[in-house]
Amino acid sequence: MNNPFILLFVAIPAVVALINLILPLVLRKLLNLLSSLFLLYSMIDVFFISKSAELLGSDFGTIPIFAQAIFAVDQMSLFTLFFIQILAFIVLFYSLKGVQADAQKAFFVLFPLTIAACNGVILSDHAISFVLFWGLSGMSLFLFALLGRTKESPATAMKTILIMGGTDALLVMGLAIMWTLKAQSSWSMSAMALPVVDGMSWLAFFLVLAAALAKAGGFPLHTWLPDFSRDAQVESAALLPASLDKLLGIYLLARMMTTLFTVNMIINMILMSLGAITVITAVMMAMNQHNGRRLLGYHAVSQVGYMILGIGSGNPIAFAGGLFHMVNNTIYKSNLFLTLGSVEKQTGSNELDDLGGLARNMPITFLMALIGALSISGIPPFNGFFSKWMIYQGVLESARGAAAGYQLWILVCLILAVFSSALTLASFMKFLHAIYLGKRPEKLNNIKETSANQWLATGTLAVLCILFGVAAVTVPLKLFIYPALTGMGVALPMFTGLYQPLVLLALFLITFVLGIGVYAVTKKVRFDDIYLGGMPALERFRIVGTAFYNEIRNMRGLKGIYDAADKHAFDAYDVGEKASLALSRILQKAHPGLLQVYVLFIVIGVVIFLFVL
Amino acid sequence: MMLPYFIIIPLLAAFLITLIGGKRDIWGIALSMIATAALLIMSLVSFLQLRGETIVYEMGNWQLPLGIALVMDSLSGFMLIIVSLVALTSVVYSIQYVRHLGQDFKYYALFMFMLTGMNGVILTGDIFNLFVFMEIALFAAFALVAYGCRAEEYEAAFKYAIMGAVSSTLILIGIGVLYSATSTLTMARIAQAIPGLPSQIVLWIGGLFLAGFGLKAAAMPFHAWLPDAHSSAPAPISSMLSGVLIKVLGIYAIIRLFFNVFDAPSAFLTIFIVIGSASILISGFLAIIQWDFKRLLAYSSISQIGYILLGMGLATPLAILGAVFHLFNHAIFKSLLFYDAGSVELALGTRDLQKLGKLGKLLPVTSGTSIIASLAISGIPPFNGFFSKLIIILAAIAAGQPVLALLAILGSILTLAAVMKIQRYGLRQDVDVAPVEKIGLGMNIAMILLAVICIVGGLLIAPGIREVALDPVVNVILEKAEYVQMVLGR
Repeated sequence: MNNPFILLFVAIPAVVALINLILPLVLRKLLNLLSSLFLLYSMIDVFFISKSAELLGSDFGTIPIFAQAIFAVDQMSLFTLFFIQILAFIVLFYSLKGVQADAQKAFFVLFPLTIAACNGVILSDHAISFVLFWGLSGMSLFLFALLGRTKESPATAMKTILIMGGTDALLVMGLAIMWTLKAQSSWSMSAMALPVVDGMSWLAFFLVLAAALAKAGGFPLHTWLPDFSRDAQVESAALLPASLDKLLGIYLLARMMTTLFTVNMIINMILMSLGAITVITAVMMAMNQHNGRRLLGYHAVSQVGYMILGIGSGNPIAFAGGLFHMVNNTIYKSNLFLTLGSVEKQTGSNELDDLGGLARNMPITFLMALIGALSISGIPPFNGFFSKWMIYQGVLESARGAAAGYQLWILVCLILAVFSSALTLASFMKFLHAIYLGKRPEKLNNIKETSANQWLATGTLAVLCILFGVAAVTVPLKLFIYPALTGMGVALPMFTGLYQPLVLLALFLITFVLGIGVYAVTKKVRFDDIYLGGMPALERFRIVGTAFYNEIRNMRGLKGIYDAADKHAFDAYDVGEKASLALSRILQKAHPGLLQVYVLFIVIGVVIFLFVL
Repeated sequence: MMLPYFIIIPLLAAFLITLIGGKRDIWGIALSMIATAALLIMSLVSFLQLRGETIVYEMGNWQLPLGIALVMDSLSGFMLIIVSLVALTSVVYSIQYVRHLGQDFKYYALFMFMLTGMNGVILTGDIFNLFVFMEIALFAAFALVAYGCRAEEYEAAFKYAIMGAVSSTLILIGIGVLYSATSTLTMARIAQAIPGLPSQIVLWIGGLFLAGFGLKAAAMPFHAWLPDAHSSAPAPISSMLSGVLIKVLGIYAIIRLFFNVFDAPSAFLTIFIVIGSASILISGFLAIIQWDFKRLLAYSSISQIGYILLGMGLATPLAILGAVFHLFNHAIFKSLLFYDAGSVELALGTRDLQKLGKLGKLLPVTSGTSIIASLAISGIPPFNGFFSKLIIILAAIAAGQPVLALLAILGSILTLAAVMKIQRYGLRQDVDVAPVEKIGLGMNIAMILLAVICIVGGLLIAPGIREVALDPVVNVILEKAEYVQMVLGR
């Protein structure tokens, strides 16, 4: 029996988007809220009230349209779907008040459109419908970018749609090759299981991978993400690159590793290397940023590296860790974006150099941002720690069974990932210091705490950060991730690694107390109004957080790389743009506008035709 | 028997406009609106009534070896719909735009002549007749390109005329050789006679036709006239030229001759693929470097023609479906983009992308529809262009040509880059602009109408609609010999 109920997840937001085109603003918000609440409730119903396991057997399954199975549901899609609704609802609640006035009306049309597209991707089983919704979500990203009001936002929108549209076309080609290799029998994504053996299947794998990497923001197709984070509305940055695009991209990657392809060791190695490169390069870039949103954007890239590392390793623990990290990342990253958004709305700036000392003005926002920062840096007992911990253990586990050469390589990847985690912490020290701590610029003296809907939204996310850390096994893993793994045919991890949240918390507290003790013993700080040589501590001597890591920036060896990166020398998009414009100029020289040259073209063409034929 | 009216109505309209037009353009507008609306309704009705059949009408009731036949099958019906649809929107759009150029009824008369020529090319079953109608359409087009009466427009029209003449000569030589070899000009009878001819002669005639009609279609390397002509013409004419003229005189004639008459020899299919790919890539690269709004669009037209030729060259049912669908889609979104360019030019007096900016508030309809058209032409879902490009890519892969698929993808990325350049600089860069003229209702209606078709056009491929709308057209192209039997075999 087929249950068309699940279609509502695409239909309702799509209809809301259509109706919202003509409604006044208040009703647009209301309609969005209602539809989002309904979808969220439906998912809660599936997971907690009616219990999905039974439903899957009877009511859900494939849903035919045009006599073809278009949509299908399994545990993995239900789990992803649930988190899309959660994140969408929270971001929507945050957006109820404070979206930039001239973009508000469009925002509340694009919002449900995006949700419909993302839900459609997750529910699609037919490859064409998957591509269609996938492209739609890319388009909504582009339209959100157009709503940006910075000087660079048109350029960013162009970059975003080029990377999204290009990889969308590659995805089409990849799936088409798979369809041909499967004797054009079925478009069902769950029935592909293509072994990656010959040239064509490798090509298909990389084409599909490109789409997943571009969407999630993995190296080398991540370059749209920091720009988008800076130039689009902060709500859309929290909605798409921070959460929904991660869910979509990693969802596709997880499908690739399980149902779409039958993978081998070389693929695992390639993915783990890509993951490690993503983690380290993005975090190095993040440390050097002066713009708060761009900094968060690079971290959004860097965290994807962990997920790729975990899911790519092929080890069940790391796989589960990768999925868990995907969920965690959506929670703390949208939290960080939204808290920064609150600061930005109150102060009017997201440049770290302009901010400082806001913890006293905006204590709640600071607390939420602190929890988010500790989570992303992998500090126990917050959620980011546990998922990284699982990934590390799983990757180590996968190294155990590998050949010696592979082992060394895997260890290098692992060390890079662990090292990057420390750099993430360092980078967020800078972030927190620059915004909330240090000396406050005088013009920010009268800043007030943000509105209730905003801190309630970020507060909910912060609570989730703690819940998913402290109760990691009982809540997210047992309820969502293990069933999803079983549904995709991955053997359940036999152990979840060493994890006793209370013991860890105790250890953490002990080290904290120790640190305070060391500080108390060695305390040699003098507070004074004089800065240097009798000069009072004027505003212009204020130490800003952005300067924390200038030493690293200017380190020999790294300086050249950073300089080149600042000139976009490693950005595939910019390199491609330069190369194609150079080619265009050569071609343009052949078109001087002279009639005789053009007639010569014709003559040459005719002669070639007659010669060939 | 509706067939002759497709030619008579626009011809009569042209005649009447010149006769009673006077100094004002009101009669021209009224008559051409009536004519194009009637043509649109007639073409829709007759296409639906056809149901894959073929209608033959012998002019003056002269039997076939002696007379000239008009033939309407699904392919011609499909082309007629595209032509009349774009023509109607173009007339609606022209009302304000052409008044701005400050001249009288002549524009509408020329417009109707061009329409006569195109409908004639589509319907005729006689190869020399096709040539004559083609020249009618072309001469009207030359005059319309020069209609703005500025130096560069005269230059563009001159280049267009010279290169058009070169191609017409090639076609005429081809027709002459063909006539001397087969002693008939009726296409169906030529098709019957061709298997008996020495193969080298057929190939050479084909080469001449391919060069001649390739020039009309602006496929590489015969494309050089197009950027000048299409960017110099008034915007509604640019959209007619890019949207339908190159397809009727070029692509349609090529399909008719090479598939239905020459029976698609594989040598020509290979050439289609080669020139199609070259067109996609080279003009894709040329498009991204342009700063003139309309010139950029003109280069992108060459590239889209390349897609159609590529689909034709692959010649599998799927590929031809993609090509036919893309032909329709391109007519819609390219016309829309030219309307957008025209309204920007009208409102601001320039089409240099570097001098434009921040049009979102100023020209909301233009800005909105141009986003839709841009996304459609670059194959972003859910717009119509996505589906046709999807099918062409699928067909290339299914035909075992992944390299061609990659090339098509590269081309679509280049297209995306080109149209996004328009969005980035032309409509949104941080430059404050001052409008010189307001865009009126007629122009906005034309743009909105085409934008709506861009959105819902994808439905043509949906099961249930496809069988009615596209499959009969594909069948005409695929069942090559059927044409001969349908025309002669009653």
